[in-house]
Amino acid sequence: MRRPAAAAALLAGAVAASALLTGCGGTASGATSGSGSASGSGSGGKPELSVSGAYMPQPVSDSMAAGFLVITNKGGAKDELTSVTSPDAGDVTVHETAGGAMREVSRLAVPAHGRLVFRSGGNHLMFDRLAHKPVQGRTVTVKLHFAASGDLTVEMPVKPATYNPATGH
Amino acid sequence: MRKKTFAAAALLAAATLTLSACGSGDDGGKPVVSVSEDSAQHRAVTVLDQPFEKPDLVLTDTHGGKYDLRKETAGRPTLLYFGYTHCPDICPLTMNNIAVAKKALPKADQDKLRVVFVTTDPARDTPAELGKWLKGIDPQFIGLTGDFATIQAAARSVGISIEPTTKDKNGKLVSVHGTQVVAFSPKTDGGYLFYGEDASVDDYTKGLPKIIKGQNP
Repeated sequence: MRRPAAAAALLAGAVAASALLTGCGGTASGATSGSGSASGSGSGGKPELSVSGAYMPQPVSDSMAAGFLVITNKGGAKDELTSVTSPDAGDVTVHETAGGAMREVSRLAVPAHGRLVFRSGGNHLMFDRLAHKPVQGRTVTVKLHFAASGDLTVEMPVKPATYNPATGH
Repeated sequence: MRKKTFAAAALLAAATLTLSACGSGDDGGKPVVSVSEDSAQHRAVTVLDQPFEKPDLVLTDTHGGKYDLRKETAGRPTLLYFGYTHCPDICPLTMNNIAVAKKALPKADQDKLRVVFVTTDPARDTPAELGKWLKGIDPQFIGLTGDFATIQAAARSVGISIEPTTKDKNGKLVSVHGTQVVAFSPKTDGGYLFYGEDASVDDYTKGLPKIIKGQNP
């Protein structure tokens, strides 16, 4: 279903992995697809992360926005998302939602051979105090910090306010 | 339209939540909500067998004036939602879904429709803040703020549970939004439809022309 994206993720993964060695984080090259990956050597005992389906619905104002993505772990060990930062926002926090109430969480697990899903109505990234109001067609840079895999940078595309990933519009 | 099995499961879960949320109301075991055959295939919207009376609610609008919900929306197709502007995900999505669907209506019907956003976070959502936020979505939408207890009672009267804003352990304010939009019929002024959080632009686009006429979608 997402073959081209997977290929892009692999490529981005190579970039990210090499950049990680220098300690400055990788930048996912697949800006429009919002894909990227950070991984270890690929052996079963390490987490192997990739990001897909990243998007930000165009927010009402520059004071607050939500972001969604899916983190997939192909590796045989779990990892943990420990924090998220963005040069485009004063603050990024991670929230779970349940029954209309959202709760800030400090760490979320990415299970071995599993996924951590951020989607509307569920987990979301919350961006506070954005430098500019994100508008459709632009991207927002997001840095995901993991306990084991280090940093992963995603260029998150800004989609229409009513974007539904299930229908793609 | 939504073929993914996980989406169907989520909708089922949402429907279950709706039922349990209403079951815990003050109607003494009487089933308030039952899902019609129509909505069983299309779970974003639930037709209520026993419509809710429109809340007797007088609050402050975005211009700082008094707004009497029953008086102002009498005989009008009306959508009522309880949310807050410091809400990154569901509140703006819900309002934007309605705004996009509304634009598909003929102009005359757009003018008939009343979309009322009642804040669940009145301390932060002043008339000016609400006005600014709603203007970014649809300038015809009505925003109401006022005493939280009054708002909570009104929400409860239509089967919607909200809680006051609290501070979390980091000192950040956490607010709660309602999980449904209630549609009121222009014919009866009764709240006869529930739209869940999963309701999409398409669901509202299909539903609004019916709501304008007080019909079931």
